[in-house]
Amino acid sequence: MSLIESRDGFLRMLRDELGMDLAEEDLFTGLDRLAVWDSMYLLRLITAMEEDSGRRIEVRRILEAGCLDEIRAWADTRGDRGAGGAR
Amino acid sequence: MSTLSTLAGPGYPTRGPALREPIAVVGRNDAWDQVRTDLAECGTALLHARLADWEPDEPDGPALRQLLGRDWSRYLDIAHPEIRRRYAASRLLLKYAAGAVLAADPDELELSYGPTGRPYLRGCDQIDISLSHTEDLLLVGLTTLGLVGVDAERADRRLYGKGMGRHVCTPYELISLANLAEPQRNPALIRLWTLKEAYSKAIGQGMQFRFTEFGFGPDGKPARVHRPDGTPGTGDEWAFRTFLLSNGYCVSVAVYDAGFGRAMDTRFLTMLDEECVEAITSTLASGEGPGRR
Repeated sequence: MSLIESRDGFLRMLRDELGMDLAEEDLFTGLDRLAVWDSMYLLRLITAMEEDSGRRIEVRRILEAGCLDEIRAWADTRGDRGAGGAR
Repeated sequence: MSTLSTLAGPGYPTRGPALREPIAVVGRNDAWDQVRTDLAECGTALLHARLADWEPDEPDGPALRQLLGRDWSRYLDIAHPEIRRRYAASRLLLKYAAGAVLAADPDELELSYGPTGRPYLRGCDQIDISLSHTEDLLLVGLTTLGLVGVDAERADRRLYGKGMGRHVCTPYELISLANLAEPQRNPALIRLWTLKEAYSKAIGQGMQFRFTEFGFGPDGKPARVHRPDGTPGTGDEWAFRTFLLSNGYCVSVAVYDAGFGRAMDTRFLTMLDEECVEAITSTLASGEGPGRR
C-alpha cells in the first residue's frame, strides 16, 4: 500500500522525508500559512511521492494545490479520495 | 563573502551588465550610499540583511500599517508568527532600500503585484525590484536596467539525491552533476536552484516555467541560460551571478538589460516629465481640459 493513500501514511512521509512533523489538521492549512514551506519542499515532496507510488506526478497540476491534502489527493490518482472527502 | 566558484575573485567574469556583491544592511540609515553607488555605476544593486535587524518595532502598530499600505490586510491574514515576521521585515527592507534610491519616503511607495505575483513598485517604472527571504536572511535586488530576480538558500540545505535532480535539472545538468565528486553535487545543485529561481522571478514565471526546461552551465564560467541540451539560450542581455555569503547563504541574481541605458536620475519626483506636467497644468488652467466643455 502506498503511503499517500492514507493521511496517516502521508504524515509519516512528510515527517520522514521532509522533516515536517505535522498534525492531521495541518494538512488542510493553506500552504502559504505553513511555517516551513517553499518550492524546494514541494519538489522534495513530489520526489518522495513518486518514489512511494512508483508513478510520475505532474508538477504543473500540483502547483495548483492549496493545501497538503490537495497535493496528496491529486497524487493519489485513484480518484475516490478528493481533498474535500471525509477526514 | 565570495562567489561560489573556487575560481571566483574580484575579476570573475560575468556576461552582460556588471553585478557587484550584495551589500550588508544593518540599520535603517545604513549603507544606502553604497546601494546608490552600485545602482549608479552598475545599474543594479543587491543588498542583504538579517531578519532580526529589520523586524518592525511594533508588529501591529500604525507605523507598520502605514508602511505596508495595501499589504496590511494580507499581513494580518498571515496566521503563522514566523511568516508574519519575515513578511513585514522583507517589505520594510525593500521599501527603505527603494526609498533611498528614489529619494522618496518609504511610506509613499506602494508595492503591487503582477498577474503571476511578481512584485513591483506602482508608479515607479524606472526601477525593478526583486525580493527573497529564507530563514533569517532578507535579500533585495534593485535595477534600473530592465528586470531583476534574486533568490537565496542556505548553501548546506540538502537537495541532491533520490531523484530530485529529475525535477530540477535539464539532461545536460544531470550529466554535469553526476560528473562531480559526491561532496560537490549538493552545493552545485543549490547554485543551479537559486539561479533558476532568480531567472524565473526576473521573467515573472515562478515555477510555472519548469526548471527542467532551462538550465545553466557549470560553476566557474560566466553563467547564461542553456536549453535542455546544453546549447546557449540567452546572450549578453542577461547577467547571472552567484555569491556565497559569509553567513552560509547561497545567493543568485539574474538581471536583464532592456537596452534603454542606465537611468542616471532615479528620484521619485523627477520621473514626471516637467514639460508634460506643464502642458497638462496649463491646459487645465485654460479650461480646455476634457472635463470642461
